[in-house]
Amino acid sequence: MSRPKPDLEALRAQIAALEKRPVLADGAALLTKQKQGDEDELLGLLKAPPGLLHEIFADEHRQSGTALGFTLGLAGSLLGQNRQALIYLQLSAEGQEIGLPYGLGFQNFGLTPDTLVIGRIGTMPELLWALEEAIACRAVAAVIVDLASHPKALDFTVSRRISLRAAAAGTSAFLIRYGKGREASAARLRWHVKPGVSAGQPFDASAPGNPRFAIEIEKLRLGQESGQLRQTEQHHLIVDWTENGFVSVDTKKRPLAPLRRPAPPSRPQPAALGDRLSEAS
Amino acid sequence: MLWERIKGGMRLSALDALASKAGLSVGQNLSDARALVPDLLVFEHDADFTAHVFSDFADWHSNASPVVAVDDTMAPYGDLILDITGVAHLFGGEDKMLATLTSRLRALGYSTHGAIADTVGAAWAFAHFEPGRIVPEDELEASLGDLPVHALRLTETQVAGLNQMGLKSVGQLYGRDRKALQARFGASLVLRLDQALGAIEERVTPRLPIAEHHAERRFAGPIGYLDDVLMTVRDLAIQLGIRLGAEALGAQSFHLFLYRVDHKVMTLSVNAARATRDPSHIAQLFVNRSERLEGEYDAGFGIDMIRLAAGSLSPTPDVQVGAFEIDDGAEDLARLYDRMTSRLGPLAVVRSKPVDTHIPERAVKLEPVVARTPDDPSALVDLPVRPLRLLPNPEPVEVIAEVPHGPPLRMVWRRVSYRVLKASGPERIEAEWWRTSQKLGLLTAPTVGEAEIAPQDHPDPTKKPVKSEPLAQHVSKLEEFDPEITVRDYYVVEDDAGRRFWVFRVGLYGASRPPGWYLHGFFA
Repeated sequence: MSRPKPDLEALRAQIAALEKRPVLADGAALLTKQKQGDEDELLGLLKAPPGLLHEIFADEHRQSGTALGFTLGLAGSLLGQNRQALIYLQLSAEGQEIGLPYGLGFQNFGLTPDTLVIGRIGTMPELLWALEEAIACRAVAAVIVDLASHPKALDFTVSRRISLRAAAAGTSAFLIRYGKGREASAARLRWHVKPGVSAGQPFDASAPGNPRFAIEIEKLRLGQESGQLRQTEQHHLIVDWTENGFVSVDTKKRPLAPLRRPAPPSRPQPAALGDRLSEAS
Repeated sequence: MLWERIKGGMRLSALDALASKAGLSVGQNLSDARALVPDLLVFEHDADFTAHVFSDFADWHSNASPVVAVDDTMAPYGDLILDITGVAHLFGGEDKMLATLTSRLRALGYSTHGAIADTVGAAWAFAHFEPGRIVPEDELEASLGDLPVHALRLTETQVAGLNQMGLKSVGQLYGRDRKALQARFGASLVLRLDQALGAIEERVTPRLPIAEHHAERRFAGPIGYLDDVLMTVRDLAIQLGIRLGAEALGAQSFHLFLYRVDHKVMTLSVNAARATRDPSHIAQLFVNRSERLEGEYDAGFGIDMIRLAAGSLSPTPDVQVGAFEIDDGAEDLARLYDRMTSRLGPLAVVRSKPVDTHIPERAVKLEPVVARTPDDPSALVDLPVRPLRLLPNPEPVEVIAEVPHGPPLRMVWRRVSYRVLKASGPERIEAEWWRTSQKLGLLTAPTVGEAEIAPQDHPDPTKKPVKSEPLAQHVSKLEEFDPEITVRDYYVVEDDAGRRFWVFRVGLYGASRPPGWYLHGFFA
């Protein structure tokens, strides 16, 4: 027996209401709209709607810069007039291991040093408390939690709870984790991010260029499109962070010659460091 | 019985009734007293401790009147002054108030004397020589005149001098030639006399800040549970909010005073990022703060009064958000910061504030979000590329680099080897010469200190430096400003896997000291 489509939508809304989550129509629409190419679909996900719990996995602690950069790229698109703050939470004991976010570096990601409020928290229960408080605040665009360790306190139940809270408040939560192991979690999206060898500067091929990320989406649970992505072959993507946000890079054709690809033209490139001596001294 | 050391001798300083009956007196030699009463029980008198306990005790009396002071003109403890202006009616009159205050102390086993008068000096005099009196204004001069000159808070030599002259009562001093008195007995005699009579105002320094706005609640029986206290705080916050609202005020700091039955006062303070009078917010801040108490909460034998006071008041009118204004949620954000700070501590929730300097670790100051200071307009914004993360302490790396100014080609960090493919730099950052005398005692101290002593102290450069080395240790080892060792050359390096690091070299090749390489940050 086939029901007309409006009923299906209504039913879905009812279930969503029972499960205490928004219908996620945005996410579903986003996916259906960008069905033309898998890569575009993935690229669209980089501007995911608010109210989702993301997990960002990096392989090692020494890639913490990559993980934070990618997360800031995702979270930055959620900032708006009504939501002007990002909250970053870290266990204070892990600061030396993975480093503290450095305000002057945010400029490359389109953020002012002021935007990110840093919480250095002593214990895991307090961190989770702060996370829930921050998610509940309607003026927070996203909460970023950076965990170098694998605390027991963060289990499936807790992540489910965070996910529901995030959906209810419309605030996204990003969990940055490290390592190859994957624990059960209720995150809607799970990203695996690795640094990529950058394209170099347009005038100096031997200098590091725009940040490059090799990303892989490992999990996608967005409304009715749940699990669709798993069936597609392509869920890898290489993107550069430019002043226009994430830009897809096609390295398949010339994987070994990234230098031929010109860097985005209008971006004011950081000057070579040596000519700033007069200012620096 | 107590004794203390006075002028090199062990003398009695306080006696109980039994001891005075046995014929001992204050000021007597301890050995004499022991000879007189062999089974004497004496303790050494710890004056500091007593003064401390007494001041706690004084604080507790702020449940009777907001202005409580300890009069330390004669002794560091023992004399308590309460300004009861406008308070007495709460106790049903001055006589009843005096009776209540002294009897409640007597019930606890203290011997107390009290008096009420118009001036501090007169109140002291009556409390010591005619306890229990309440002297109306018009009788003050006459009644004071009958008291001995001791009552004027004079030194022993002044009293002895006056007695020698036959001036035994205060009344005899009235109308005497002031200049002669001053010449003979010192200016303090005239001052004390004027103070007692009210000719000169005597200031009382209150022990606790006077809160213009507060709400309080007394309990018929003492309460002990923290939950009860917090529930009361919620009620008090509503009262306080109404009072502040009536005057269109908001407060930024809130103090909670818990008066214990056993004469101690516990205080809890919270600060808000912006002035507020919202009861639920205030109460929530105290709930969060109480979770950070960790066993400090001790109700003793119970709490019989709770007062919530507001400080740092500022006009906070009720505003209506205009039709065309956009509610940017700044208020919600401020409240979130308040809540987080009240539970996690002020230093745990910080923002990055750019500072006008090139030294990377100093260029961003982490500032508590609730104690926001204006931004520094001269702070550098147009800097060369900076990393996304900075290590609080730079970690030493072992580097193979081109001499003299080449970027690293290979490096070993945390026991892992990296092959550098791309690099840019150097960006040279010099020590700030204007900090020559103090520069190493500041934030840079651990960094530069480590950098300089690392070659000797850490023969294995891959070993992580000890993070908790005391600052002073570095400072003592540091030398004066020396461009050869304080200059840093920063390089952005990218390894074959695309990881980007910020490394720097301290010192120059070919200098008297070999340069050291450190890793300072990560790029995206």
